[in-house]
Amino acid sequence: MSTFILPVGPQHPALKEPTSFRFLVDGETVVDADLRLGYNHRGIEKGCEERTYIQDLYLLERVCGICSNVHMTVFAQGVEKLMGIEPPKRGLFIRCLMGELERVHSHLLWLGVAGHEVGFDTFFMYTWRDREIVEDILEMVSGNRVNYGMQTFGGVRRDLDEMQIRKVLDGIAALKARTPYYLNIGASEPTLVARIAGVGKLPKAKALELNAAGPTTRASGVDFDVRKDDPYAGFGEHIPFNIVTDEGGDVLARVVVRAKELMESYNICEYILKNLPSGEIRVKAPRKVPEGEVVSRAEAQRGECIHYIRSNGTDKPDRVKVRAPTLANWPATLYMLRGGYVADIPIVMAAIDPCLSCTDRMAIITDPKGNQKVWNWETLRQYGIDFYRKRGIKL
Amino acid sequence: MSLRLGAMLPEVLKHLFKKPATVQYPFEKIGVPKGFRGSPVMDPNLCIGCQLCVKDCPSEALEIHKESESTDEAGKVAKRFSMTFYLDRCSHCAQCAEICPKKAIHMNTEFEDAAFDRGALKIVYK
Amino acid sequence: MDILKIFLYLLVYPGLLFLFVYSTFVEWVDRKLYAKFQNRMGPMHTGSHGLLQPIADFVKLMAKEDIVPKEADKKLFNAVPILALTSVLTAGLLLPVWHFSDTFQSATSFQGDIIVIAYLLSLPSFAYFLAGWASASMYAAIGGVRVLTLLFAYEVPMFLAILSPAVMAGSWRMAEIAAYYQAHPWHLLINIFAFAVAVITLQAKLERVPFDIPHAETEVVGGAFTEYSGRKLAMFRLLADIQMVVGAGMIAALFMGGFPGGLIPGFIWFILKTLIVVFILAAMRAVTARLRIDQMISFSWKWLAPLALLQLVIVIFLKGYLQ
Repeated sequence: MSTFILPVGPQHPALKEPTSFRFLVDGETVVDADLRLGYNHRGIEKGCEERTYIQDLYLLERVCGICSNVHMTVFAQGVEKLMGIEPPKRGLFIRCLMGELERVHSHLLWLGVAGHEVGFDTFFMYTWRDREIVEDILEMVSGNRVNYGMQTFGGVRRDLDEMQIRKVLDGIAALKARTPYYLNIGASEPTLVARIAGVGKLPKAKALELNAAGPTTRASGVDFDVRKDDPYAGFGEHIPFNIVTDEGGDVLARVVVRAKELMESYNICEYILKNLPSGEIRVKAPRKVPEGEVVSRAEAQRGECIHYIRSNGTDKPDRVKVRAPTLANWPATLYMLRGGYVADIPIVMAAIDPCLSCTDRMAIITDPKGNQKVWNWETLRQYGIDFYRKRGIKL
Repeated sequence: MSLRLGAMLPEVLKHLFKKPATVQYPFEKIGVPKGFRGSPVMDPNLCIGCQLCVKDCPSEALEIHKESESTDEAGKVAKRFSMTFYLDRCSHCAQCAEICPKKAIHMNTEFEDAAFDRGALKIVYK
Repeated sequence: MDILKIFLYLLVYPGLLFLFVYSTFVEWVDRKLYAKFQNRMGPMHTGSHGLLQPIADFVKLMAKEDIVPKEADKKLFNAVPILALTSVLTAGLLLPVWHFSDTFQSATSFQGDIIVIAYLLSLPSFAYFLAGWASASMYAAIGGVRVLTLLFAYEVPMFLAILSPAVMAGSWRMAEIAAYYQAHPWHLLINIFAFAVAVITLQAKLERVPFDIPHAETEVVGGAFTEYSGRKLAMFRLLADIQMVVGAGMIAALFMGGFPGGLIPGFIWFILKTLIVVFILAAMRAVTARLRIDQMISFSWKWLAPLALLQLVIVIFLKGYLQ
């Protein structure tokens, strides 16, 4: 068979969210890869401009289901800087705790999904069973399993009492006992190692050049972590932890990095709970935010999450821009996919932990002739109305 | 770490004798913890009609309407308000309960909210 | 009277009805075991403890709309499931479900039936390839090509593995091989390597994890079956179950001493021994990840084929020694 184009997506069992890949395939080898994003664009950034800051907190929380807390944290941090207020210590520690608990839940989820992509469903079921422990903890602490709604301007919204702290510590201890088993299996089950070792190699130089983020780049030996390099929330108070890196650069290294990050997160959570300072959890925040612009960032589960917020003195933001870490990882993924096998496509894509809901903002597709039209709000709206009218749907 | 053939086999065989981790919902249910964020419930006796909850709701799920107004002999005006709550729009963030100055709204623990008819999801607290 | 007996064998036992019912039971056992290994429950509500779930799945698929793609080769597309199903059902007739004896002849048993059953069991793989080819979809084409590549990998070790007990027993007739091992039960242990190779290659033939490369869900959507729906898909799924029963029966007859004792005890032995093989297959499915096609080929030619050859050499030596 000569080369042909294999489409993966927008609908495909390997993808959890719609993305459009076009692979140029020669037999079983991928010769070239191309990507088109934008299928999960929901207009959240525009929606932020029409809502007050308080309402935007909850809108930005719903950018992604797995990284919801991180987006809320980054936004709250940024607006706090604009307002010029500083949350109390206990609030910062609880903010940090929520971030780490979310990291635990996300990495356990990822381990299961990676297992499923290579056909190892038993691994998937076991990791997700253990993930229920952390989900129950999150439900008890925040009131919901997803979209915790804990962060607000000036601190956190809910406090932890003694009984909750004990329950969280018990859950973390149970997880601490279970997680090394998965690291063990990841390194010693022959079929699993055969699928993930040596696959999707990203050398350190390429990782730096293509600007990869998060565990993807840490698995190639780059030790960049926003928690150490630009501390935020409770990390500014010197909560001790280690950055986890690995020199392998392949999918196995990413599994190892995430499993070890799980152990680090357990240690951070235990430190926070045992050393929780007493006091208030929040300070009062004004409704109108003074004029200014701010860039705020945090270490999401997948890398560095950046928000840019510009305010104009009213109670609605002027512009909110969200850059999620997965966007930074896509060029690196295309590099990894070229030259690999068709069978490796799902696991290499899953190895960067793609979160399309986080990534997709508006996609501009340039005309090959170079005439790039910029559309404003009215043109876009009219285009939508005409599109449906042409097909006989009255609007 | 060295490769072991059938590394997961002992653990997998042990599970033949363990109780399954599945809860057979809806025949068995595990409860929700205290503090679970369900839907807002309003007490009309405490509401003062400040509309802060309406302003802060991110999903436009609340409306406050004036029900009645009465003046007693001392000249004090007592107003009564009702809340129309759209359960199909609510995002269960509890911002309304947090912002209410009179603590007239608290969150219940209901989560089985599905309905076939949108009208059934419009709840009025009078 | 003979004609009636033949119809009974064809339609009831060990023919159509028995294979259909027993294969759904075996699928239930496999799903329940797989679920138990993963700490969950498996089918629970259809019938008592989900026993009717495979039949319910079959009936549901039969009732769905049957779509043939516009570009597909219609005659081939429609014919392939039926061809595959008939070959597997015919293979099922050759199993020595009651012990060879002068008074109780097996349903169909003749010299060389071990080769015929292996041949009939490999026809479905060609059918899968034709299904993928006739579907005019690139996922199906890739799936079909992978089926043939997989066939290159496991077919030779499989034939070598089932050769060893035949050489030991000195016969090409499955009923006679089973009778030999009934007479000398300790000789079963000689074939231990061939048993391992046979079970692994059976897993490959059935296209289950770790060898479900041709229809790997996350890679090629449905492989050769991507465009199939409704009745034809129901036939493919049924044929996978029946293949499991027939393959397990073949392994039980060759490596576990067959099904002696006549009609009723033979039936019970058949159920028991095939369920043991199904347990091993389900455990293999639960503890491994899916291999890549090139890894499967190198594994098969580096480990399985030499192991089967070694077994053959051992058998030849021991046969000479024990003579």
